[in-house]
Amino acid sequence: MISPAALIRRAAPVLACIGLLVVWQVASLVLKNDSFPTAVEAIRAIPDILGDKEALLNILASLRRMALGFCVAVLIAIPLGLLMGRSRSVAAFFNPLLMVIYPVPKAALMPIIMLWLGVGDITKTLVIFLGVSLPVIYHSFEGAKAVEEKMLWSGAAMGLSPAQRLVRIVLPAALPEILTGCRTGLVLALITMITSEMIARQSGAGNILFNALDMGQYDTVFAMIIIVGAMGIFLDTIFERVRARLVRWSEPQFDLPLSFS
Amino acid sequence: MKAPQNGRGSNDVSHGCENRRLSGRLLAKSVPYAKASDGMTVVSARPSEWVRPVTSKEPASAIIEIDRVSQVFQTSARRDHVALSDISLTIEERAFVSILGPSGCGKSTLLYIVGGFVTPTSGAAKMKGQAITGPGPDRGPVFQEFALFPWKTVLGNVMYGPRQQGVRATEAEAQSLALIEMVGLKGYENFYPKELSGGMKQRVALARTLAYHPEVLLMDEPFGALDAHTRTRLQNDLLNIWERDRKTVLFVTHSVDEAVFLSDKVVMMSKSPGRIREVIDIDLPRPRRRSELLLDPRYQKYVVDIERMFDESDEAGIAS
Ligand SMILES: Nc1ncnc2c1ncn2[C@@H]1O[C@H](COP(=O)(O)OP(=O)(O)OP(=O)(O)O)[C@@H](O)[C@H]1O
Ligand SMILES: [Mg+2]
Repeated sequence: MISPAALIRRAAPVLACIGLLVVWQVASLVLKNDSFPTAVEAIRAIPDILGDKEALLNILASLRRMALGFCVAVLIAIPLGLLMGRSRSVAAFFNPLLMVIYPVPKAALMPIIMLWLGVGDITKTLVIFLGVSLPVIYHSFEGAKAVEEKMLWSGAAMGLSPAQRLVRIVLPAALPEILTGCRTGLVLALITMITSEMIARQSGAGNILFNALDMGQYDTVFAMIIIVGAMGIFLDTIFERVRARLVRWSEPQFDLPLSFS
Repeated sequence: MKAPQNGRGSNDVSHGCENRRLSGRLLAKSVPYAKASDGMTVVSARPSEWVRPVTSKEPASAIIEIDRVSQVFQTSARRDHVALSDISLTIEERAFVSILGPSGCGKSTLLYIVGGFVTPTSGAAKMKGQAITGPGPDRGPVFQEFALFPWKTVLGNVMYGPRQQGVRATEAEAQSLALIEMVGLKGYENFYPKELSGGMKQRVALARTLAYHPEVLLMDEPFGALDAHTRTRLQNDLLNIWERDRKTVLFVTHSVDEAVFLSDKVVMMSKSPGRIREVIDIDLPRPRRRSELLLDPRYQKYVVDIERMFDESDEAGIAS
């Protein structure tokens, strides 16, 4: 038996979605604009896209680039961030570099990268990689910096070498912060994925979206927005589940997590 | 070098000086104190009558030697800040030594130097004749901040040291479970640090350090953050554990009672710059029972004398 409070909590995300769709539907009916299809029209276009093999392959290609860019970024950014957080000289070396890249929209680098590496997978994956790296580096850096010195001393007294301390004390101690960075990185990966395909129109979910826009198929445009949004929510929800499990030891006991589910 | 040094405290406080001369005795090493104290019932003892020291045949061997150690910190505000000035101290094997002093006199710094976490500006600390160059499992710290690994359970924390030392998992687990029981946390093995109270965390920290069998325990105000009741209980527990396996303990505190209750020797420090003011041998029978000791005039005299010294150094501090 589920309590009423729990029932409301479970139903809340669904209700929020329905509410949004209703507002959309009403707004669209009132505005009567050709380029603003109703929610029902947009939703009806979804099966057409997902039923089309070509479109599906495009979306999968997008996801593959995104996964690759995200994973490589995380694998490089976490060690780099941790090292920067624990070593003054590493931080001094990389800090100016990152400070230069940080405020630049990664998509703005795309034209140059495209000149060098073409419009293929490498360019897009590289842009996703850049987009994901910075928040992950930043959060790993902050997490590593905040590790209590006495914890490291305790490890040193047990005989852990500096490298062991980095992997076995700094990494787990900074994990909550690192995963916060990864979660931001994941959403950024999705955003850079679409932007990169908008600039280098060749394949992918972004390509479908902007092609439809060019051809004036507005229901397909909105259907794609819904699909991309749903992918984002799905990925974020999965990630949040994994994250919560990994850092259960650090979560405050009673806390409403900021997540969709 | 002679074992206990007097600090450079210039004014002689008329404190059990007779007692201080008996410094050569072996500290507590398997001496049948219980007999000695049985002969002298607590109530009948007059303050002037000290327990006859059990002079030992073998000389106490030094385990830690601190030789003219000074520590200067570069601070942003006051450029050179002398935290420790010319500290020399010898700690004998299996002794329980407390470092007592006002806040900021460099007690923690001294402990960190012995731990090898901080390298002194000048002078050297030695452990068993070897210069201390870094941390090592022969010296186990227990920090005031607990510094438990929050991602590990109680058991995981306690097992960490033995596992690092290459003890097999099953064996390390068995040992750790026994230790957890000894510090009174049976049933909490699978709790995470965030699920424990302050006193419980302190117990875990102690068990975690005991688990890898350091020869010297370095404890920095381990009970400072606890309420009076928990504090008393943990003091008793610590004494029981210590009386069982007699490790050398270097114990930092700012509580006079605590220092006298626990120690063989109390090192009094003074502030600005941190110096050793006085080294006082505590000649009280062991095993010590709190209830008996509190009524013991000798204990009371130690506490009062040391507190008086504290006040004097305070006044000196204000005057200067
Ligand atoms: N890393 C540091 N940098 C600069 N100054 C320091 C540093 N660590 C300690 N000090 C200074 O050294 C002095 C001694 O500090 P320490 O922590 O050893 O004192 P303490 O006796 O342990 O005090 P408390 O009883 O409050 O813990 C203090 O005046 C402090 O300001
Ligand atoms: Mg201190």
